Amino acid sequence: MVRVESPPTDREVPVVRVVLPPVVLLAGATAAGVALVVPAARIPVAVCGAITTLVVAVLTVALHRRRRAMAAQRAEYEQRIAYLEHRILSHDSETVRLTKEVMPAAIRRLRVGNSPEEVMRDIVDADAANRHLPKALREQIFQVLEVIDNEEARRDSAQRAFVSVARRVQAIVHRQASELREMEDHYGRNPEVFDDLLRIDHGTALIGRLADSIAVLGGARPSRQWPKPVPLFSVLRGAMSRILEYQRVDLHSIAKVAIVGTSVEPLIHACAELLDNATRYSPPQTRVHVTAVEVQTGIAIEIEDGGVSLSEEARARAENMLAQAQAGINMNDLGESPRLGMAVVGRLSRMYQLQVSLRQSAYGGVRAVLIVPRDMITTGPAPGIAHGIGATSRPTSSLDMSQLQHVVPPPGKRKSKPKPAATGPVPSVVAPAPAGAPAAAARPATPAAAMEDDVPVVTEWTENGLPQRRSRGRAPLGSHNLPQQPPPPPAPVNGGLPSRGGHPDGGYGGPAGPGGPGGSGEKPPGLWLEAFTKAVNGVPQEPKHGEDSDDAWDKGDLK
Amino acid sequence: MSGPRRERRKTDPALSDPERLYVITGDLDDSERAALDLVTMVVAQAEPSPTFQPEQAAILRLCQAPLSVAEISAYLSLPFSVVTSLLSDLLATELIESRAPIVRATLPDRSLLEAVMHGLQKL
Repeated sequence: MVRVESPPTDREVPVVRVVLPPVVLLAGATAAGVALVVPAARIPVAVCGAITTLVVAVLTVALHRRRRAMAAQRAEYEQRIAYLEHRILSHDSETVRLTKEVMPAAIRRLRVGNSPEEVMRDIVDADAANRHLPKALREQIFQVLEVIDNEEARRDSAQRAFVSVARRVQAIVHRQASELREMEDHYGRNPEVFDDLLRIDHGTALIGRLADSIAVLGGARPSRQWPKPVPLFSVLRGAMSRILEYQRVDLHSIAKVAIVGTSVEPLIHACAELLDNATRYSPPQTRVHVTAVEVQTGIAIEIEDGGVSLSEEARARAENMLAQAQAGINMNDLGESPRLGMAVVGRLSRMYQLQVSLRQSAYGGVRAVLIVPRDMITTGPAPGIAHGIGATSRPTSSLDMSQLQHVVPPPGKRKSKPKPAATGPVPSVVAPAPAGAPAAAARPATPAAAMEDDVPVVTEWTENGLPQRRSRGRAPLGSHNLPQQPPPPPAPVNGGLPSRGGHPDGGYGGPAGPGGPGGSGEKPPGLWLEAFTKAVNGVPQEPKHGEDSDDAWDKGDLK
Repeated sequence: MSGPRRERRKTDPALSDPERLYVITGDLDDSERAALDLVTMVVAQAEPSPTFQPEQAAILRLCQAPLSVAEISAYLSLPFSVVTSLLSDLLATELIESRAPIVRATLPDRSLLEAVMHGLQKL
């Protein structure tokens, strides 16, 4: 376009100049011929010469015209080619820009939840650089967005389906687990049945973990909620209960902290997956060691196995998987024989800000370190379950443990003082009802009296919330070698009256510590038996916590 | 199973623990339970050390004075079989000692003795 006029200007002048030489030459030759030939032939020669000259002149002009036209055409072609090349180039760069900038931006917007129409409006129409996009390209972008949108929707619904199936399995497993726990209590006295129940229980827990994994991979949060803080030790044992080879796991020096209720389930699950990895990828005879120590940022749970050391490549792959999962993994990426573990851990660690790293262990195996952030931890007393299942019988957690030294059952229920009569032989000799109080008061001094009244009395609570009994005198079987008179029971805290306060169980200094109604005391002998048998049969204690944690006692007391 | 004949203790799921009983029991396969009875008396022979499992430590603390297996089971709220399994481990390491209870029948019946006494006095 630029040079449209230049070629013609070049050629404009030469038209005459090009025609002139041949014409002059021919005219000269004609004139020479006319002069040389005989006069008779002059006229024809002159005519021929003139005609020739004329023809040549015409031809030359025509030739020249044509050449000029050709030149013009060539120029025009060149121009057009240049233009087309330019177009192609700009087209290329446009395509690159489209793929590198526009599409990603559009897809990002789509992922955030915009509809394809909205994305087109925001990305294409609102941007001056994109507004001139040809219609076909716009169509193309729109179609791509539509396809992606559909896929996302389909994937979402597939994941939701996964999750809801997993939830149902979880519900069944959960119910099954509590049923099994009841059966375990009920058949506790029958070792064969009990062992089988434990096996079933274990299998159920494995199924439960799988369901949990699917739910987590489906993007859901763990369903199970723990309303109260749970000690880390219990959390780790909970994780152990969900793996196949829990026998190989050793818990060493677990920090005495509790995990807040909402974080318990994810932590159990993440630890279970890590433990599963550790036991699965190490030789069956090796042990897996777990420690949990406090660090600046929280608690570091280290899981070390004695397996094959992770090669740098394998470690990179595992960490990559973690990172991928943290970035939000797709169910489709799991492949045909999915190794869910790392993906699950990655997911959970992203949801709950856990940090996971895999390192080479000093034993040669793998050391997985899971850092639990501080806000998941509470150092306050974990109510009830302080250590393991057993401790639910502790008194109410509201009492200050240090005050509880001599206390017995929880304050709530104890209205009548005397403890169930005796596990000892015959109650007949026992101090009579009225004498109950004096006898108790006198006990330390006169062990002889105590020999009859040898109910072991819970006089202390250990820090774990377990009742500790002191025998008041000899144990029922006189034959053994134990010290015949154990140290006198510790003096009552609030050294109350001899009558009630003096009684080791009456003297608890807890807030609720009522003096209790008068010496209502003695209950008919034999009632203890009921409490005893109840405790012994499958129905040991109502886990009601607080008010009547010690069922056997209360049963006796109430009568 | 869940017929009316048995009243199960209703556990509040919120209060249950994350750990299952088999974790406490340990390996199911190689465990041979010692011959323990509900009324077997158990006495600790050692102080609990921190390396013990909490339940075992609890048993050792509880059993400073002789205690029956049934009572241990009740205090720990653990089924009898779990307790026996724990006790078996402790027995194997001689941290506790167990003693069968004196069966009442093997002792002379008091009333019989009294009857004999009265009979003799009447002579």
